[in-house]
Amino acid sequence: MSSNFLEIKNATFVASKKNKIDNVSLTIKEKGEIICLLGPSGVGKTTILRTIAGLQDLKSGEINLKGKTISSGNFNLEPEKRNIAMCFQDNSLFPHFNVLENINIGAKRKNGSKFNYSDKDLIKILHLEDIQEKYPHQISSGEAQRVSLARSLLSRPDLLLLDEPFANIDTSLKEELQKKIKDILKEFNITTIIVTHDSHEAFFMGDKCGILLNQTLKQYDIPYNIHHEPNSLEVAKFLNRGVFVDVKVVETDCAVHSLSHPILGEIRGKLVNNFPAGSKVKLLLQPEDLRHDDQSKLKLEVVDRKFRGTNFIYTLKMSSDEKIPVFVHSHHIHQHEKSEKFGIKTPIFIDHLVCF
Amino acid sequence: MIKRINFWVIFAFLVPLLVAIPIFTVFLSFFDTTGNYLDLLKDTFLIKYLSNSFLILLGVLLLTFIFGVTSAYFVSFYKFPGVNFFKWALILSFAVPAYIYAYSLVAFFENYGTAFSILTFLFGEGDYNKNIPKFDGLIGSMFSISFSLFGYVYVLTRASFVFQSHNLIEVGKNLGLSSYESFFKIILPSARPAIVVGLSLVAMETLSDFGTVDFFSISTLTTAIYNAWISFDDLTTANQLSFVLLFFILLLFVLENLSRKGAKYHQNSKGNKPIPKIELAGGKSIFATCFCSILFFCSFVFPVSQMTYWTIKFPKYFQDINFWSLNMNTLLLVFLSSLFLITFSFMTNYGNRVSKNKLISYLSTFSVSGYALPGIILAVAFITFISWFSDLLSSIFGFNSFKNVFIGSIVGLVIAYFVRFFSLSYNGIKSGYSKINNSIDENAYLLGYSKLKTFSTIHLPYLRTNILLVGVLIALEIIKELPITLILRPFNFETFATKAYSYAAQDLLEAAAFPSLCLIIWASIFILFISKYILSEK
Repeated sequence: MSSNFLEIKNATFVASKKNKIDNVSLTIKEKGEIICLLGPSGVGKTTILRTIAGLQDLKSGEINLKGKTISSGNFNLEPEKRNIAMCFQDNSLFPHFNVLENINIGAKRKNGSKFNYSDKDLIKILHLEDIQEKYPHQISSGEAQRVSLARSLLSRPDLLLLDEPFANIDTSLKEELQKKIKDILKEFNITTIIVTHDSHEAFFMGDKCGILLNQTLKQYDIPYNIHHEPNSLEVAKFLNRGVFVDVKVVETDCAVHSLSHPILGEIRGKLVNNFPAGSKVKLLLQPEDLRHDDQSKLKLEVVDRKFRGTNFIYTLKMSSDEKIPVFVHSHHIHQHEKSEKFGIKTPIFIDHLVCF
Repeated sequence: MIKRINFWVIFAFLVPLLVAIPIFTVFLSFFDTTGNYLDLLKDTFLIKYLSNSFLILLGVLLLTFIFGVTSAYFVSFYKFPGVNFFKWALILSFAVPAYIYAYSLVAFFENYGTAFSILTFLFGEGDYNKNIPKFDGLIGSMFSISFSLFGYVYVLTRASFVFQSHNLIEVGKNLGLSSYESFFKIILPSARPAIVVGLSLVAMETLSDFGTVDFFSISTLTTAIYNAWISFDDLTTANQLSFVLLFFILLLFVLENLSRKGAKYHQNSKGNKPIPKIELAGGKSIFATCFCSILFFCSFVFPVSQMTYWTIKFPKYFQDINFWSLNMNTLLLVFLSSLFLITFSFMTNYGNRVSKNKLISYLSTFSVSGYALPGIILAVAFITFISWFSDLLSSIFGFNSFKNVFIGSIVGLVIAYFVRFFSLSYNGIKSGYSKINNSIDENAYLLGYSKLKTFSTIHLPYLRTNILLVGVLIALEIIKELPITLILRPFNFETFATKAYSYAAQDLLEAAAFPSLCLIIWASIFILFISKYILSEK
């Protein structure tokens, strides 16, 4: 018997006739881990959660929880017998119960797990004090989402599934809630799978992240690696972190690798994937990779400038018509207008050289 | 979980199947060999029966359209003296079955009837009979059925007017349309689907009417079916005539569906501001008040007054009626039928929801069309099926015939009501269920609730208003129901409807007055009970 907490082996999830997610394998080794599944809308993230919860059949493969098979191609344990809680995107609060009653329904589950928070504690943590007596139709969708979360937490599940849990919550409250909920989940060792399309949320909440693209699980790794070492062009493009420019690999034998670009010149750093010297590859250039230097001889034309509070994002055009983004701190003394020349510090050094 | 056959799924399959049996029976019987009666009919009266049914249908559709749409228009868009009263008073017409209306009509206008008495009282002795118009035959049937059924058109059209987009009307005004043009170019077309649904309900009820046409001795398809069975003991012919009637009704269904498909312009104005009512003044105000008053008077006050007058005038008939037993019998049928209908509709709906099986869903939809099955066809089909099934079991296993358990018994009666009103109950519960998102159920399962617990803790409390509403609607229908009760009731078992019918059939209209009045009072109580929901503007 496997000692992993949750195992998904070669699973095929079917969302609709046209939409399925093939060959998904992932493991949660320890109880209490938080996993985030990240992917664009319509890729089938919710289908995976629903199938794990037992609300949809698994087409093929196997899902094991605590060493017991709960879903396979020909078996599906009923949802009520799985001790898995799920917060739906539309919250699904019981319309004839008020907020407090809705939350307490979760507490009625008899499964022997310990959970030291009471309904009152959760109400306080999730800022629901003022709406306890209200009915679902009288509260906002963000509030409903928090009520749904409290209800699920109180049911002390073995596995908690959260479908876009912060989608309708105000930005000002989002970060605070993310932290609080992460703390609760960690404190009580509640294994959780979160589905989201927000990479910041996924990287903050998840011990591990899975990237779902083109009907399969493209990468499953810790957030740092996903960010800095995406394993495919699709993942890098999906995370939407910069642009790709054509470069040539010059030097790979030393500790610091070297690439060359006809306009940007030499680019140094550590190649994430191995390529032999002389290979022509595409390099991921992110806004934070290039530094502004008014004194530099490498000058590029400004074609756009966006103010983002703490920084500006300049879009620069190279003579080859390739456009690259660059962050500049907004305290920087002078601003560059469109068509002006913009200096870039050379030689360029990028810690992780992401090439494909 | 979904593919698994469980108690709920079996239920969702079996109940609609039971309800669909009469429909299958009628269709299959079409291919049976016929008795002589049908040949006789073909050569003689069949065309007459068809044309009578058709003429009555046309007249009723025209009258109910005028009554229903005009009154709905007045009470939805205008303020005039009594508008708030008429808004609900007009639905009281539902309490008067067409056959009781017919008794009142004849009682009032017949030679030496109530009209004659009034004229004599006012102007002294005279030969008034020749000047008093006679409402009998086709005209009498048309008026009786129309006054009794226009409520369908009124309620549905009014709902459509009330929920009509106010923006649409305002845009019309901005574009320079007069009130007259607004009505014909905007208001009426956007309420068309509701009007068509109302009229098709009226049409189905009209085609299946038995009590009224039988009272006026008009031969229509329904009376032909009844005669084939009662007078000629020819079930096959009864079934084949039923097929013709059913064909007509299905044709109506198709027409109604076709007309709805193009009607996408009908929009729900949820969230729009309510339409402000226009204050009528002068002649227009008087006209609106008069129209609604006359309609209310004719549809409700007139039959109630006539029946009350006779009840008081002929107290000797009280002695012939066991008032307590009539009440108990009627309420027993209402209670048993409501209990079974609501319970089974609930379980079927839930089974459907749990199984997500297309076959079961189709079967439910098909069985719901049992509503289109006139009571008389249903009763005949029910007897046909039970006889066949009983004979089959007797011939194979040598069982004693169990026909008596179902035919001429309360059990049979309740089953027939079940089939007849299953759609009413099933759809009533379904409309409540449509407001409960599937993920609510799923959430309950994930919180550890079994299907039974989800059903009892989440669904039942949430749908209690729907249950109440459906229960009252069933009660209303059963109290008024005549042909099924007449054919399938146990010997000497009387309800208000059958008692009134049997007196009227013996030409003892005076005696029919008291049970008729009791029936109207019971029905009015139920209507007032649910009027809040029928007339809801939310």
